[in-house]
Amino acid sequence: MKRRTILYVLLAAVLIGAVVGYQLWNKPHQDLAAAKTDVAVDATALYNEYNTDENAANAKYLDKVVAITGKVKEASKDPDGSVKVSLDAGSEMGVVACELSPFAKHTRTDFQSGEQVTFKGKCTGLNLDVVFVECVEAKQ
Amino acid sequence: MKKIIFVFSALFLLAHAGQAQKFFTRDAKIKFSSETPMEKIEGLNKSGTCVLDAATGKMEWKVLIKGFLFEKALMQEHFNENYLESSVYPNAQYKGQITNLNEVKFNQDGKYNVKTSGKLTIHGVERDVNMEGTLKVSNGNLEVLSNFVIKPEDYKITIPSLVKDNIAKEIKVVVSAVLAPLKS
Repeated sequence: MKRRTILYVLLAAVLIGAVVGYQLWNKPHQDLAAAKTDVAVDATALYNEYNTDENAANAKYLDKVVAITGKVKEASKDPDGSVKVSLDAGSEMGVVACELSPFAKHTRTDFQSGEQVTFKGKCTGLNLDVVFVECVEAKQ
Repeated sequence: MKKIIFVFSALFLLAHAGQAQKFFTRDAKIKFSSETPMEKIEGLNKSGTCVLDAATGKMEWKVLIKGFLFEKALMQEHFNENYLESSVYPNAQYKGQITNLNEVKFNQDGKYNVKTSGKLTIHGVERDVNMEGTLKVSNGNLEVLSNFVIKPEDYKITIPSLVKDNIAKEIKVVVSAVLAPLKS
Protein backbone atom coordinates (compact mmCIF):
# COMPACT_ATOMS: atom_id res chain seq x y z
CA MET A 1 0.00 0.00 0.00
CA LYS A 2 2.74 2.40 1.00
CA ARG A 3 4.80 1.47 -2.03
CA ARG A 4 1.84 2.18 -4.27
CA THR A 5 1.43 5.67 -2.74
CA ILE A 6 5.06 6.47 -3.44
CA LEU A 7 4.61 5.28 -7.01
CA TYR A 8 1.60 7.58 -7.52
CA VAL A 9 3.45 10.53 -6.06
CA LEU A 10 6.41 9.89 -8.34
CA LEU A 11 4.14 9.48 -11.35
CA ALA A 12 2.35 12.74 -10.52
CA ALA A 13 5.70 14.54 -10.13
CA VAL A 14 6.92 13.28 -13.52
CA LEU A 15 3.63 14.27 -15.14
CA ILE A 16 3.69 17.78 -13.66
CA GLY A 17 7.33 18.13 -14.70
CA ALA A 18 6.48 17.12 -18.26
CA VAL A 19 3.54 19.54 -18.45
CA VAL A 20 5.58 22.44 -17.05
CA GLY A 21 8.47 21.62 -19.40
CA TYR A 22 6.15 21.44 -22.38
CA GLN A 23 4.50 24.76 -21.51
CA LEU A 24 7.85 26.45 -21.02
CA TRP A 25 9.05 25.05 -24.34
CA ASN A 26 5.96 26.40 -26.10
CA LYS A 27 5.89 29.66 -24.18
CA PRO A 28 4.22 32.22 -26.47
CA HIS A 29 5.90 35.46 -27.50
CA GLN A 30 5.10 38.37 -25.23
CA ASP A 31 1.70 39.88 -26.03
CA LEU A 32 2.79 43.45 -26.60
CA ALA A 33 -0.72 44.73 -27.16
CA ALA A 34 -1.57 43.75 -23.59
CA ALA A 35 1.87 44.46 -22.08
CA LYS A 36 2.45 47.48 -19.90
CA THR A 37 4.44 50.22 -21.64
CA ASP A 38 7.82 50.74 -19.96
CA VAL A 39 8.69 53.92 -21.77
CA ALA A 40 6.90 56.15 -24.30
CA VAL A 41 8.85 58.31 -26.71
CA ASP A 42 8.57 60.36 -29.89
CA ALA A 43 10.36 58.97 -32.99
CA THR A 44 12.46 62.09 -33.60
CA ALA A 45 13.50 62.37 -29.93
CA LEU A 46 14.46 58.68 -29.85
CA TYR A 47 16.47 58.94 -33.06
CA ASN A 48 18.32 61.98 -31.73
CA GLU A 49 19.07 60.22 -28.45
CA TYR A 50 20.55 57.31 -30.41
CA ASN A 51 22.71 59.56 -32.53
CA THR A 52 23.92 61.53 -29.53
CA ASP A 53 24.84 58.61 -27.26
CA GLU A 54 24.14 55.12 -28.56
CA ASN A 55 25.16 53.32 -25.35
CA ALA A 56 22.98 55.51 -23.15
CA ALA A 57 20.02 55.02 -25.52
CA ASN A 58 20.59 51.25 -25.57
CA ALA A 59 20.58 51.19 -21.76
CA LYS A 60 17.31 53.08 -21.78
CA TYR A 61 15.38 51.26 -24.51
CA LEU A 62 16.70 47.74 -25.19
CA ASP A 63 14.59 44.86 -23.85
CA LYS A 64 11.82 47.28 -22.87
CA VAL A 65 8.28 47.60 -24.12
CA VAL A 66 8.49 50.93 -25.90
CA ALA A 67 5.56 52.99 -27.19
CA ILE A 68 6.88 54.91 -30.16
CA THR A 69 4.92 57.73 -31.77
CA GLY A 70 5.65 59.36 -35.08
CA LYS A 71 4.55 60.32 -38.56
CA VAL A 72 4.59 57.55 -41.19
CA LYS A 73 7.23 58.29 -43.81
CA GLU A 74 6.80 55.12 -45.79
CA ALA A 75 5.30 51.65 -45.35
CA SER A 76 6.38 48.58 -47.24
CA LYS A 77 4.90 45.11 -47.54
CA ASP A 78 6.99 42.06 -48.36
CA PRO A 79 5.77 39.32 -50.72
CA ASP A 80 5.58 37.12 -47.60
CA GLY A 81 3.12 39.58 -46.03
CA SER A 82 5.44 41.14 -43.47
CA VAL A 83 5.09 44.89 -43.00
CA LYS A 84 7.67 47.49 -42.11
CA VAL A 85 6.63 51.04 -41.27
CA SER A 86 9.21 53.82 -41.32
CA LEU A 87 8.55 56.72 -38.97
CA ASP A 88 9.98 60.10 -39.81
CA ALA A 89 12.83 60.96 -37.44
CA GLY A 90 13.53 64.47 -38.72
CA SER A 91 16.61 63.23 -40.60
CA GLU A 92 17.49 62.48 -44.21
CA MET A 93 19.85 59.74 -43.06
CA GLY A 94 17.66 57.47 -41.04
CA VAL A 95 14.20 56.69 -39.72
CA VAL A 96 12.69 54.74 -36.89
CA ALA A 97 11.83 51.45 -38.58
CA CYS A 98 9.01 49.38 -37.08
CA GLU A 99 8.59 45.76 -38.17
CA LEU A 100 5.05 44.59 -37.45
CA SER A 101 5.01 41.46 -35.31
CA PRO A 102 4.62 38.16 -37.18
CA PHE A 103 3.34 36.65 -33.92
CA ALA A 104 0.37 38.99 -33.35
CA LYS A 105 -2.92 39.73 -35.07
CA HIS A 106 -3.18 43.22 -36.50
CA THR A 107 -6.30 45.30 -36.92
CA ARG A 108 -4.75 46.75 -40.08
CA THR A 109 -1.56 46.44 -42.09
CA ASP A 110 -2.01 49.44 -44.39
CA PHE A 111 -0.51 52.73 -43.32
CA GLN A 112 -0.60 56.01 -45.23
CA SER A 113 2.40 58.28 -45.34
CA GLY A 114 1.85 61.39 -43.25
CA GLU A 115 -0.46 59.83 -40.68
CA GLN A 116 0.40 59.84 -36.99
CA VAL A 117 0.72 56.41 -35.39
CA THR A 118 1.85 54.82 -32.14
CA PHE A 119 3.38 51.37 -32.06
CA LYS A 120 4.33 49.24 -29.12
CA GLY A 121 7.41 47.17 -29.84
CA LYS A 122 10.85 46.05 -28.82
CA CYS A 123 13.85 48.21 -29.61
CA THR A 124 16.77 46.30 -31.17
CA GLY A 125 19.22 49.20 -31.45
CA LEU A 126 20.79 51.49 -34.05
CA ASN A 127 21.75 50.27 -37.51
CA LEU A 128 21.52 53.55 -39.48
CA ASP A 129 17.84 53.40 -38.53
CA VAL A 130 16.64 52.68 -35.03
CA VAL A 131 14.93 49.33 -35.55
CA PHE A 132 11.91 48.00 -33.65
CA VAL A 133 10.57 44.46 -33.93
CA GLU A 134 7.40 42.68 -32.80
CA CYS A 135 5.42 45.91 -33.20
CA VAL A 136 1.68 46.20 -32.73
CA GLU A 137 -0.35 49.37 -33.21
CA ALA A 138 -1.31 50.87 -29.85
CA LYS A 139 -4.97 51.60 -29.28
CA GLN A 140 -5.70 55.29 -29.15
CA MET B 1 29.10 62.64 -34.03
CA LYS B 2 28.03 59.69 -36.19
CA LYS B 3 25.58 61.97 -37.95
CA ILE B 4 28.35 64.44 -38.75
CA ILE B 5 30.51 61.67 -40.17
CA PHE B 6 27.57 60.49 -42.21
CA VAL B 7 26.88 63.97 -43.59
CA PHE B 8 30.53 64.35 -44.53
CA SER B 9 30.50 60.94 -46.24
CA ALA B 10 27.39 62.00 -48.13
CA LEU B 11 29.05 65.27 -49.20
CA PHE B 12 32.14 63.36 -50.25
CA LEU B 13 29.94 61.06 -52.28
CA LEU B 14 28.21 64.02 -53.88
CA ALA B 15 31.55 65.45 -54.96
CA HIS B 16 32.44 62.17 -56.60
CA ALA B 17 29.04 61.47 -58.16
CA GLY B 18 29.40 59.95 -61.57
CA GLN B 19 32.69 58.29 -60.76
CA ALA B 20 31.81 56.26 -57.71
CA GLN B 21 28.51 54.50 -57.51
CA LYS B 22 27.37 53.19 -54.19
CA PHE B 23 24.55 50.78 -53.57
CA PHE B 24 22.61 50.45 -50.38
CA THR B 25 19.89 48.56 -48.53
CA ARG B 26 18.33 48.68 -45.08
CA ASP B 27 16.11 45.64 -45.73
CA ALA B 28 18.63 42.82 -46.11
CA LYS B 29 17.29 39.45 -44.97
CA ILE B 30 19.57 37.27 -42.89
CA LYS B 31 18.27 33.84 -42.07
CA PHE B 32 20.07 31.11 -40.23
CA SER B 33 19.09 27.57 -39.44
CA SER B 34 20.38 24.81 -37.23
CA GLU B 35 19.18 21.36 -38.13
CA THR B 36 19.72 18.23 -36.06
CA PRO B 37 17.65 15.05 -35.78
CA MET B 38 16.45 16.49 -32.45
CA GLU B 39 15.14 19.82 -33.66
CA LYS B 40 15.18 22.56 -36.27
CA ILE B 41 15.85 26.11 -35.19
CA GLU B 42 15.44 29.13 -37.47
CA GLY B 43 16.09 32.79 -36.90
CA LEU B 44 15.23 35.59 -39.33
CA ASN B 45 16.24 39.23 -39.44
CA LYS B 46 14.74 41.56 -42.05
CA SER B 47 16.55 44.79 -41.29
CA GLY B 48 20.18 44.18 -42.18
CA THR B 49 22.09 47.02 -43.84
CA CYS B 50 24.65 46.89 -46.60
CA VAL B 51 26.67 49.53 -48.43
CA LEU B 52 28.57 48.42 -51.51
CA ASP B 53 30.98 50.65 -53.39
CA ALA B 54 31.01 49.54 -57.02
CA ALA B 55 34.19 51.48 -57.78
CA THR B 56 36.35 49.82 -55.14
CA GLY B 57 34.40 46.59 -54.50
CA LYS B 58 34.28 47.31 -50.79
CA MET B 59 31.18 46.23 -48.90
CA GLU B 60 29.92 46.54 -45.35
CA TRP B 61 27.10 44.52 -43.85
CA LYS B 62 25.63 44.99 -40.42
CA VAL B 63 22.78 43.36 -38.54
CA LEU B 64 21.34 43.83 -35.04
CA ILE B 65 21.27 40.59 -33.06
CA LYS B 66 18.11 41.47 -31.13
CA GLY B 67 16.29 41.77 -34.45
CA PHE B 68 16.42 38.01 -35.11
CA LEU B 69 12.97 36.50 -34.61
CA PHE B 70 12.25 32.85 -33.81
CA GLU B 71 9.05 30.89 -33.93
CA LYS B 72 9.51 29.86 -30.32
CA ALA B 73 9.91 32.65 -27.76
CA LEU B 74 12.14 30.44 -25.61
CA MET B 75 14.62 29.94 -28.45
CA GLN B 76 14.73 33.69 -29.06
CA GLU B 77 15.41 34.25 -25.38
CA HIS B 78 18.21 31.67 -25.22
CA PHE B 79 19.74 32.96 -28.46
CA ASN B 80 19.95 36.50 -27.05
CA GLU B 81 20.78 35.82 -23.42
CA ASN B 82 22.90 32.67 -23.44
CA TYR B 83 24.45 32.25 -26.86
CA LEU B 84 24.94 35.55 -28.68
CA GLU B 85 24.81 37.71 -25.54
CA SER B 86 23.15 40.47 -27.53
CA SER B 87 23.24 43.00 -24.70
CA VAL B 88 27.05 42.86 -24.71
CA TYR B 89 27.51 42.29 -28.46
CA PRO B 90 24.55 44.07 -30.08
CA ASN B 91 25.47 43.50 -33.72
CA ALA B 92 27.27 41.30 -36.21
CA GLN B 93 29.08 42.67 -39.23
CA TYR B 94 31.01 41.75 -42.31
CA LYS B 95 33.53 44.09 -43.92
CA GLY B 96 34.61 42.61 -47.21
CA GLN B 97 36.26 43.30 -50.50
CA ILE B 98 35.19 41.83 -53.84
CA THR B 99 38.30 40.06 -55.17
CA ASN B 100 37.07 39.47 -58.72
CA LEU B 101 35.74 42.98 -59.30
CA ASN B 102 36.93 43.09 -62.93
CA GLU B 103 34.43 40.32 -63.78
CA VAL B 104 31.43 42.36 -62.58
CA LYS B 105 29.76 44.93 -64.83
CA PHE B 106 27.59 47.05 -62.57
CA ASN B 107 26.12 49.03 -65.46
CA GLN B 108 24.94 46.01 -67.43
CA ASP B 109 22.17 43.54 -66.55
CA GLY B 110 23.57 40.12 -65.80
CA LYS B 111 24.33 37.61 -63.10
CA TYR B 112 27.80 37.28 -61.65
CA ASN B 113 29.53 34.97 -59.21
CA VAL B 114 31.27 37.18 -56.72
CA LYS B 115 34.18 36.29 -54.48
CA THR B 116 34.99 38.35 -51.42
CA SER B 117 37.44 38.27 -48.59
CA GLY B 118 37.09 40.18 -45.37
CA LYS B 119 36.41 40.18 -41.69
CA LEU B 120 33.30 38.71 -40.10
CA THR B 121 32.52 39.77 -36.55
CA ILE B 122 29.99 37.83 -34.48
CA HIS B 123 29.73 37.71 -30.67
CA GLY B 124 32.65 40.15 -30.48
CA VAL B 125 34.99 37.73 -32.28
CA GLU B 126 36.54 38.95 -35.53
CA ARG B 127 37.68 36.36 -38.08
CA ASP B 128 39.21 36.51 -41.56
CA VAL B 129 36.84 34.80 -43.95
CA ASN B 130 36.24 34.28 -47.65
CA MET B 131 32.63 34.57 -48.75
CA GLU B 132 31.05 33.87 -52.10
CA GLY B 133 27.71 34.76 -53.54
CA THR B 134 25.84 35.80 -56.62
CA LEU B 135 25.19 39.35 -57.68
CA LYS B 136 22.49 40.02 -60.23
CA VAL B 137 22.39 43.43 -61.87
CA SER B 138 18.78 44.13 -62.78
CA ASN B 139 17.28 47.52 -63.75
CA GLY B 140 20.05 49.35 -61.97
CA ASN B 141 19.59 47.41 -58.71
CA LEU B 142 21.81 44.67 -57.33
CA GLU B 143 20.24 41.43 -56.12
CA VAL B 144 22.67 39.75 -53.78
CA LEU B 145 22.43 36.18 -52.55
CA SER B 146 24.91 34.29 -50.42
CA ASN B 147 24.85 30.95 -48.60
CA PHE B 148 27.52 30.10 -46.08
CA VAL B 149 28.15 28.12 -42.96
CA ILE B 150 29.47 29.26 -39.59
CA LYS B 151 30.60 27.21 -36.61
CA PRO B 152 29.47 28.56 -33.22
CA GLU B 153 32.75 27.47 -31.59
CA ASP B 154 34.71 29.69 -34.02
CA TYR B 155 32.96 32.69 -32.46
CA LYS B 156 33.30 31.53 -28.86
CA ILE B 157 29.62 30.71 -28.64
CA THR B 158 29.43 27.93 -26.10
CA ILE B 159 26.58 25.46 -26.22
CA PRO B 160 25.85 23.76 -22.88
CA SER B 161 26.47 20.00 -23.04
CA LEU B 162 22.85 19.37 -22.06
CA VAL B 163 21.59 20.71 -25.40
CA LYS B 164 24.63 20.11 -27.58
CA ASP B 165 22.79 17.43 -29.59
CA ASN B 166 19.96 19.88 -30.29
CA ILE B 167 22.14 22.53 -31.92
CA ALA B 168 24.04 21.90 -35.13
CA LYS B 169 27.83 22.13 -35.22
CA GLU B 170 27.47 24.04 -38.47
CA ILE B 171 24.87 26.78 -38.77
CA LYS B 172 23.60 27.51 -42.28
CA VAL B 173 23.21 31.19 -43.12
CA VAL B 174 21.39 32.71 -46.09
CA VAL B 175 21.76 36.40 -46.88
CA SER B 176 19.55 37.98 -49.51
CA ALA B 177 19.21 41.63 -50.36
CA VAL B 178 18.28 44.07 -53.09
CA LEU B 179 20.64 47.02 -53.14
CA ALA B 180 19.48 50.25 -54.78
CA PRO B 181 21.77 53.01 -56.03
CA LEU B 182 22.45 55.50 -53.25
CA LYS B 183 20.99 58.80 -54.40
CA SER B 184 23.33 61.70 -54.04
